[in-house]
Amino acid sequence: MTPPSTQPSTQPSTPPSKPSRLGRARGPRVLAPLVSGQEIVLLAVIGGLWLVLGLATPAFLTAGSLRPLLIEVAPIALIGVGMTLVIVAAGIDVSVGSQMMVCGVITARLLVEAHVALPLAVLVSVLVGAALGAVNGVLIAWGRVHAIIITFGTLNLFQFVGRQIFGSQTVNGIPATLDVFGRGEAGQVAGLPYSFLLTALIAGAVWWYLRQTPGGRHFYAIGGDALAAELAGIRVRRRVLLTYVVTGALVGLSAVFTIAKGTTTLDQSIGAGQELAVIAAVIIGGTSIMGGRGSVLGTVLGALLVQTVSSGVTQLGWPSNLSDLFVGVFVIIAVGTDLLRQRARRAVR
Amino acid sequence: MADGSGGAQRLAMTGIAKRYGAVRAIRHADIEVAAGSVHALVGENGAGKSTLIKILSGAVTADSGAIAFDGEPVQITGTTDAIGLGIATVYQEPALFAELSVSENIFLGRELRNGPTIDWAAQHAKVVELLDLLGVPVRDATAPVGSLSIAEQQQVSIAKALAGEAKLLILDEPSAILTDSEIDVLFGVIRRLKEAGVAIIYISHRLDELFRIADEVTVMRDGATVGTFPMAGLSVREIAELMVGGILNEERPARTVPDAPPRLELRSLGLAGRFHDVDLAVRPGEIVGLYGLVGSGVAEIAHTVYGIEPATSGEIRVGGTAVRPTSPRHAQRLGIALLPADRKRQGMFAFQPISFNISIGHLGLLSRFAVWVDRARERRVATELIERLAVRTPSERQPIGALSGGNSQKVVLARQLVRRPDVLVLAEPTQGVDVGAKEEIHRIIDGLAAEGTAVLVVTSDLPEALRIADRLLVVRGGTTIAEFGRDASQVDVLAAAAGAGDEAVSA
Repeated sequence: MTPPSTQPSTQPSTPPSKPSRLGRARGPRVLAPLVSGQEIVLLAVIGGLWLVLGLATPAFLTAGSLRPLLIEVAPIALIGVGMTLVIVAAGIDVSVGSQMMVCGVITARLLVEAHVALPLAVLVSVLVGAALGAVNGVLIAWGRVHAIIITFGTLNLFQFVGRQIFGSQTVNGIPATLDVFGRGEAGQVAGLPYSFLLTALIAGAVWWYLRQTPGGRHFYAIGGDALAAELAGIRVRRRVLLTYVVTGALVGLSAVFTIAKGTTTLDQSIGAGQELAVIAAVIIGGTSIMGGRGSVLGTVLGALLVQTVSSGVTQLGWPSNLSDLFVGVFVIIAVGTDLLRQRARRAVR
Repeated sequence: MADGSGGAQRLAMTGIAKRYGAVRAIRHADIEVAAGSVHALVGENGAGKSTLIKILSGAVTADSGAIAFDGEPVQITGTTDAIGLGIATVYQEPALFAELSVSENIFLGRELRNGPTIDWAAQHAKVVELLDLLGVPVRDATAPVGSLSIAEQQQVSIAKALAGEAKLLILDEPSAILTDSEIDVLFGVIRRLKEAGVAIIYISHRLDELFRIADEVTVMRDGATVGTFPMAGLSVREIAELMVGGILNEERPARTVPDAPPRLELRSLGLAGRFHDVDLAVRPGEIVGLYGLVGSGVAEIAHTVYGIEPATSGEIRVGGTAVRPTSPRHAQRLGIALLPADRKRQGMFAFQPISFNISIGHLGLLSRFAVWVDRARERRVATELIERLAVRTPSERQPIGALSGGNSQKVVLARQLVRRPDVLVLAEPTQGVDVGAKEEIHRIIDGLAAEGTAVLVVTSDLPEALRIADRLLVVRGGTTIAEFGRDASQVDVLAAAAGAGDEAVSA
């Protein structure tokens, strides 16, 4: 056996103090910045696009063009608010399109066939959506199966349910009262459509909740490490359930917006493909697909960007396929940015 | 914080027992911890330390036994019970949320509120106060924890544990991931807490450091507490003896190693920040063991030899030629085969059949004209190896994920035997493997050496290191510090790895 190593006293005893993130004195900043870097970039890109489109097609920056854009954005951004919660908590919900179909057909038939009052129909739609979300949430939180599997299953299940309720192919004669949530003149304040205003209001509330309240912050903890969150005393299952229920409820409201912006006929294509548009908006908005990071503001901006692109492509008379291409590129850039950020962070350690 | 009386009994656990299915994790454990003292808990892997800690922190519930806290009998059936009593646990890997800020991490689950919202200013102030107590200066409580170093994250973990008015703080191998200067800071923190009357249970494999920080030590062996002793008057060697106990050194088959020039040589090998000046030589037919505790750098040495992380200093020689493997593929081409430590992540394709798991990496060899895989030959090689290694499976088409730990390890080992490698590096070859399979794997390794392979076994399993190695090198503090022959005793090796000789300096 070798003799014991030499005395520590022969070595320099004071280790060089390395710069530490903790040790750095800082001003009284107590909160993270209101807007993240990615959101500023998004704002700039949207602003730039609007400017370019405004110059290219003078009609773009008019109320007649921007209002439809906001009306189109509203349903996606609204579901996106819920989806942000889901994805921040490291889940995913690919069944929102089918949920919308169920909510939409129930609302339409209530209005057309049962002649119920609009507020009641809206309430029913929201409750049905919440119930569908609860199905997802319970299966995911207590079934311990990955969210993508569960919601892929319910995507098909809800679609079946929706088709059953449709019965015949379409629901005809959607009443004009719904126009308040759509294109009608009654449905706007200062040129802004009600549906978008409501979406902005809800998004603002959820943004504040996520940022400022313990409950909101806990979603980030769950997305970061569900087990550690559980050990910290967070009731992880309930919180996870809540994300899906909120998403479902918002899908319910969003279904009303979607019917309202359509024609007097509702067909079975309602909600089709919606999940991908919503998830794209959330990811482009800077929410990490791995969970633990994201913001509602980013999601709304993401939805706005996606809609700006597709509306711009239409107005420029380009083939509409191109908007898919652009959205794809944006998603890849957003995911790439997130990965690079995480890698840089690991390198810091 | 506690009353600071010091010496009053804070915790008494008596007659604790716990079994997981058929495994008796703890047969009988007694431990008493005084307020304002640092109580070390030591034992070999599998001695029952972690189970005891899990019982105390409420992660699992004891089958029998009694717990008294501050003189009162208590029931701990969940983590909330433990937290309610003021028992806080800091696990080895900081369980923090990278995306949340320092103050959010510390107050997670018990946020200071201002109406419905978080009172950021109050949390910030309290964080500064807590970090002051830990003896670390003004800090940025809003930095995301992910941007901090591991040592800083650990300080945040401790601050988090203390934010809940901890009376008993459990530190589970806190020093394993820290550098020496970071350990000094940690010990400063522990001393302050001790002065404040907090009782501390300190788990560590590095016995030498216990002499700097602990007042008493409780030794566990084979699921039972051996006893509690004051640190003063003990030596590392005596603690090691208590840990190893009366276990007889296993009978080892005598082996003769042919005299030949070394096949694998490491000369002053180093990887910045991980290990340095590692020297060893393995001759054809020789089995050299490399033993070190977690955090000693021993695992990184294996990675470097296999090209996962290229060395930053020194050289590797294979058959007398200096080589610098830069990837596992490169290392393989140089004739170095590796059995990875983390079998599930690095070694197995769980859903693929055994034959696939054996032939992967050798498809060039097993294919016709190096173009398509010769299925019949793949199957033949697989069946042959399954037979030779006594893998218990109905057929070579069985997915490897369906096999037991020992059998799947044999399959991963078989992959290295398709072509007998010149140099075989095995990292933790029998981790998570039952006793019977362990012995079989050891015999396979013996057999390989007998055929002329130079074998380097990197392990943190002491009996294994002694059983298998012709020569055993001990790694501590990132370098090889001692060498033992076939006649080494467990106590000698453990004492060397845990830092015998240093306590005289620090105590």
